[in-house]
Amino acid sequence: MSRYENSAVSNAGDMVKRRLPGRLCRGHGIPGRKYGVIYRAVLMENLQYVANMALGFFGYFVFIYIFIKLWEYMYRTPEELIAGYSKEQMIWYVMMTEMMWFGSNASAVGRQVKTDIRGGNIAYLMNKPYHYTLYILAKYTGEWSIRLPMYAGLAVVIGTVMVGAIPGFRLINVPAMALCIMFGLTINAVFKICIGLLSFWIEDATPFQWLYDKLILVVGTIFPIEIFPRALQPFFKLTPIYTVCYGPAKLIVDFQPAKCVEILAAQVVYLAAGCGLMFFVYRKGVKKLYVNGG
Amino acid sequence: MQAIRVEALTKTFRVRRKEKGMRGSIKAILRPQTEEIRAVHGVSFEVEEGEMLAFIGPNGAGKSTTIKMLTGILYPDGGRVEVLGIDPTKKRRQLAYQIGTVFGQKEQLWTHLTPYDNFRFFGAIYDIPDEEMEHRIGELAERFELHEFINTPVRNLSLGQRIRCEIVASLIHRPKVLFLDEPTIGLDPVVKEQVRNLIRQMNREYNTTIFLTSHDVGDIEKLCKRIIIVNDGQIVLDDSMEHLKYHYLHKKIVEVKMQEETKLPQVAGITVLKQKGSHARLEVDTGAVEIGDALRRINVENMEDINISNVPLENIIMEIYKAKDRQQAKSAVEPVG
Repeated sequence: MSRYENSAVSNAGDMVKRRLPGRLCRGHGIPGRKYGVIYRAVLMENLQYVANMALGFFGYFVFIYIFIKLWEYMYRTPEELIAGYSKEQMIWYVMMTEMMWFGSNASAVGRQVKTDIRGGNIAYLMNKPYHYTLYILAKYTGEWSIRLPMYAGLAVVIGTVMVGAIPGFRLINVPAMALCIMFGLTINAVFKICIGLLSFWIEDATPFQWLYDKLILVVGTIFPIEIFPRALQPFFKLTPIYTVCYGPAKLIVDFQPAKCVEILAAQVVYLAAGCGLMFFVYRKGVKKLYVNGG
Repeated sequence: MQAIRVEALTKTFRVRRKEKGMRGSIKAILRPQTEEIRAVHGVSFEVEEGEMLAFIGPNGAGKSTTIKMLTGILYPDGGRVEVLGIDPTKKRRQLAYQIGTVFGQKEQLWTHLTPYDNFRFFGAIYDIPDEEMEHRIGELAERFELHEFINTPVRNLSLGQRIRCEIVASLIHRPKVLFLDEPTIGLDPVVKEQVRNLIRQMNREYNTTIFLTSHDVGDIEKLCKRIIIVNDGQIVLDDSMEHLKYHYLHKKIVEVKMQEETKLPQVAGITVLKQKGSHARLEVDTGAVEIGDALRRINVENMEDINISNVPLENIIMEIYKAKDRQQAKSAVEPVG
């Protein structure tokens, strides 16, 4: 019998169990369970900010409205194609990539890693039996799990009312699209974490974050890859842009099974390589950790 | 059995140096200069299982750096660390299951969740099965009297309630060693006492080894049986609290009220700290003059009231803080002659 089992309060646990709702976890011994628990904790915490999150809808609407007007001006006839995209496809493409951008708030991932390292808060997160980078990833996933569906709902309403349905869109393809979006957001977060982890070595990783964000925003988010010169396109397809935003948005506006398999395969490769890089950088960086005082 | 073993532990930080003004800022870009700061230098000590140890020192002495090396957060530059037989640098996550940490100035609880949900969260992080977790939450809630607010979001709790919950969250996995860094900071005297009682209870009932860092002398005096004082990255004193208080405490404070104003004696070993009319406050060094002798010299017949007390522990610690090495620390507290 362990020394703890001599407790005089043997039934207290049952008492609390009866009285208290909203338990965080039920299973045990499932690999990755603790990251699921972190995810749920963030979910529970963020549910209290739903109204605040909705305030961002206005920014999204203004952004999309400008692009709708821009593309309406660019397309002279309804049948015209630009870089292989019809007007509806082009507007829906921007709406979907912006939905991912607004719905994931990915900049928070890199910012938190950077702040944790520079401010020393990482010291208090590292001494728990989980991997810090996966903790951040689980937190981030918990955040976008609420934001993204909200923005998706808004995008569908705006798109349907102002642009019309996506040509050839079929509900049966939605699970594959959702999987692609999920992978895309995770890959983005992994790369943002990698950049944030550079703070172990350099004073401020913000310039690198900025460059990465702008690359994703300009090349993959606002315009599809096909808009850019043909010579640059193979290069873009090798960058995270292809798997993070272009791939998922392309599938939504023009779903093709072969393309879906190609994008998913690329995402799996990118995710594996990205995670490998993330663990490597963390392992090396943590030895450089400089936290004193307190 | 030893819970903690530290041998010749060393840690050096490299910090940037910049000359003052704009010129200095530009120079720092072109030719960055760094300086090595020796945070911990050759620290060695052992802590027995179930021991309550105060590990104290002035700001910048190296105590937090030492704790961070003991918990695997920082990698030592030299020396050896073993906590419960585990090397924290090699098996940090394995060690995390065995130790708990409470940082009075840092929140580990999720503020928008209730203490109950927080305990469930930490329980799951430490892989505690559901039924066992419910049992432990119930037991800890009962022992630490949390039932009144266990369902209130942490952000709505008072500081004292929050600290109690922080401690409970650190105990959910029943750590064998608990590192407490300023656990009573900012608390009122009543809550401070409650927290100290919790720590004492935990040590008594679970045989938890307590490694305490605090600037509050009350925490140290009321909780710990042993004290290690670090300064400038080195241990300047490692002694039992009893020894420190009674053996080294050779100075007595004598407060007297005389029947009429009297000229106090100028004797080696007696220092007049304050005299106002018939009231006087003296410090008697019992190493130089015996207390009875000192009283006779003050003139007992003329005395109306007297109070003899020890020098506050705070003053002793302050004296030791001023010392640069073991020898100086020893002479700061030991009787002369």
